[in-house]
Amino acid sequence: MTADQPISVTCTVNGETQTLEVGAGETLLQTLRRRLWLTGTKEGCLEGECGACTVLIDGAPVASCIQSAAAVDGRDIRTIEGLSDGERLSPLQQAFLDHAAVQCGFCIPGMLMTLTALLEQQASPSREEVETALAGNTCRCTGYQQMVDAAMTAAGRERA
Amino acid sequence: MKVVGSSVQRSDGEAKVRGDAVFGADLAVPGMLHARLLRAPVAAGIIRHIDTAAAKASAGVRDVVTGADVLNERAGVAVFDNPLFATDYIAYEGEPIAAVVADTAEQAEAAIRKVELTIDAETPVATPGQALMSDARMVHPSWAEFGTVGGIDFNRDGNIVSQILLDPGDVDGAFKRADRVIEGVYQTPRQYQAYLEPKMALATFEAGRYTIQVSHQYPFRLRDRLAQVLDVPKSAVRIVGHHIGGGFGAKLDLALEPYAAVLARRARRPVMMLNNPEEERLTAPCRENATVKVRSAVLNDGTILAQDVDVVFDSGAYANNHPATASIPIFMFGSIYRVGTARIRNRMVYTNTAPTGAFRGVSGPYLVFAAERHMDQIANELGRDRREYRLAMLAEDGHKMLNGQALEELSILHKAFDLVEERAPWAEQGKGKLRGVGIAAAVWLTNPQPGQATVKLNEDGTLTVVTAATDSGSGAVTTGLRQIAAECLGISADAVTITMPDTDVAGFDAGSQGSRTTHVAGRAVYDATTGVREKVIEKAAAMLETAKEDLVIEDGVVHVAGVPEMSLGLADVAMAATFSQGPIAASGSYTTPPPPHDPSRTKGMLFSTWPTPTYHVHLAEVTVDAVTGKVTVERYIIAQEVGRTINPDAVKGQVLGGLAQGLGYTLWERVDIDAGRYVQRNFESHGLPLACDMPEVEFVLMENPEAAGPYGAKGAAEPSIVPVAAVIANAVSDAIGAPIDDIPITPEAVLDALERS
Repeated sequence: MTADQPISVTCTVNGETQTLEVGAGETLLQTLRRRLWLTGTKEGCLEGECGACTVLIDGAPVASCIQSAAAVDGRDIRTIEGLSDGERLSPLQQAFLDHAAVQCGFCIPGMLMTLTALLEQQASPSREEVETALAGNTCRCTGYQQMVDAAMTAAGRERA
Repeated sequence: MKVVGSSVQRSDGEAKVRGDAVFGADLAVPGMLHARLLRAPVAAGIIRHIDTAAAKASAGVRDVVTGADVLNERAGVAVFDNPLFATDYIAYEGEPIAAVVADTAEQAEAAIRKVELTIDAETPVATPGQALMSDARMVHPSWAEFGTVGGIDFNRDGNIVSQILLDPGDVDGAFKRADRVIEGVYQTPRQYQAYLEPKMALATFEAGRYTIQVSHQYPFRLRDRLAQVLDVPKSAVRIVGHHIGGGFGAKLDLALEPYAAVLARRARRPVMMLNNPEEERLTAPCRENATVKVRSAVLNDGTILAQDVDVVFDSGAYANNHPATASIPIFMFGSIYRVGTARIRNRMVYTNTAPTGAFRGVSGPYLVFAAERHMDQIANELGRDRREYRLAMLAEDGHKMLNGQALEELSILHKAFDLVEERAPWAEQGKGKLRGVGIAAAVWLTNPQPGQATVKLNEDGTLTVVTAATDSGSGAVTTGLRQIAAECLGISADAVTITMPDTDVAGFDAGSQGSRTTHVAGRAVYDATTGVREKVIEKAAAMLETAKEDLVIEDGVVHVAGVPEMSLGLADVAMAATFSQGPIAASGSYTTPPPPHDPSRTKGMLFSTWPTPTYHVHLAEVTVDAVTGKVTVERYIIAQEVGRTINPDAVKGQVLGGLAQGLGYTLWERVDIDAGRYVQRNFESHGLPLACDMPEVEFVLMENPEAAGPYGAKGAAEPSIVPVAAVIANAVSDAIGAPIDDIPITPEAVLDALERS
């Protein structure tokens, strides 16, 4: 197989089966944004550090900017566009609004995906566990406190 | 009040948590081409030859341009020193040399690598110290021929971009009378804004006009600067603003827009440009690195007879907006503490490094760092308690700053010290080995520049606010302006829609900077909504056959006071008005008038007053690990005066966000320069604050409504960053018993200082 020969990938994106022809060097971020027009996943540092491009693969947060698209064959992918139940926001999305945890908003899709994964694995995390989970997500606007408050509310826990 | 003072949610919040919000970097239009810049690979050098033939022949390429192909006049905000493309010499690493436009971004990227560049690299003028040496190479050999805005001289001199001097003439005499002279030198590095959305521009050219879609903090300045560099009337440029993925000052001036505009006109196709992450880091207008020397003439009783302050900062390769803000040191010394007299010199210096620029709290963080480290130093040398000495020196209401402007409400600072004391009694803080406490105070401004708003009553009884005010995240537009309009008319904030900026549609607005939006644009919105309100009352009075004075508007209903059944819905009033006298709308305009001052002291300064001051006291307690040198912030208290709070959660978010940026600047973030080139070249190496780095923060909000502000609001968003470096350095110095006068306070710096003590 040569580098520019497309590779056929079948995966689930936000619950829908997608069969896509992707390039060998293509990142999952490029596939989501350019082929599926899922532009809610943001292009930030492109080196897997800032977290703005975080999506869930089989429930685990992954930096899609350094994830090979060809390698997601057979996997389940969730993006920010798939978080809400139709019109109804997820409890975490709602908590982010209620706690004014959104400022410029560019990091928010990645933040929400990382925290969604945390809350799915651990229903009732401590503040410290929330902060540790966010070690791969940078926000330059908020100073994080209102985000952690929101995550605690979504987890049904009062402020520690 | 029903709406003002409540934590209304931002109007773009739901779109942002759903991933629906379209940021500039997300834009795409049919037929758009993609362009990339070839940027200088060295910090300084002579360009011998640029060969674009291979690039032009590269797959998918539509056009390649250099300075030879376009109007390439030197231009700028203050000093006209910056061409679009370097043509004969390179002034900094990352400076644009050529642009390629192609069908895809990948093709454009491939083609710029094929531009053949012949450069004779030169030794860069890498630091302000080198630039000021008598035999220094001139960064710009033809500097004397550069034009300036309004022909202002700025006291330019070779590598000195501009300088200000405030010298009342009695300073040297005061030093002769001093019991002791206390001297300090305070050094601070650059700071990278680190917004997450890269800079972008999407340009089209149609019917003789340029349209630029962009995420930008100040669309009207962008319009004016594009008109300058493209040599077209301002009205030939339209700026359409989109969601901004962070700016913090970095998106206030030109970046990619002129290149996209030129290329779109030549290609007759829309042209999209997007910086890659490395380009961002190489070219972002970082906060300037600076050295501040402070000498104080002090009597043994603590009286400061005089201060002599000498600031040198690194402008980088071009002047940017610096000559306009160069006067800020005259507001940071002799303003809150009693100082007999003061001489202030500030020199901005060209180097072969990326141009520095605006970052939240422009100049303030390092000037307050110097001023407040120096207060600790004086107190320590006199054997005085550091807090007690500050209170003894703190001036009273009416104290005049060095520009002759009186601070009429300075007693707010006394109250702020008291409120911090209630929460964290000074005598109990910082006790124990390697534990320390720091305190600092500051006065900050609310940017006074103009804003305009048009408010129209829709035929369903809701309001639309038309403004070019931009929301780069603060919520000042998406909550604050909506709340002001809602409160003023008597409706809910949900019934107020606010436009995205468009220079063809809205009146001039000076953009998202200096905490000005709530105060200045908010006042324009308040005045406009007041006009709408009057028209509603007039129409409803005619419809209800009652006197205007008897009517009130509550919850979207106009009714006779005390007689709720004599009422009309706003939709009924709006419909009746529209089809009888015409639709109801009104406009408002505002700019803060300059406070009274003594212009003879501020000759040659573009920025001569400190409008709508706000007051701030911060306290921090830190611990230091003697083995690793790590500093941990155990406690942080902020007492901040805001005039009136429009939205408590939004204010809190600004205060916490500014603190995080201040802690990063002081403790963790790195922007090192080696021979003119940035050392940190990827995201991770900058050391930005993470969630786990943030301390518990106690925030004490102080309200003190200001007459001119909407419902008394002053600026609130910017200033929490300003005192942070001072407070933390004071606390660390206290903890280790040795002065820390440079930041960042790295573990190595702490261990070195511990060894010396």
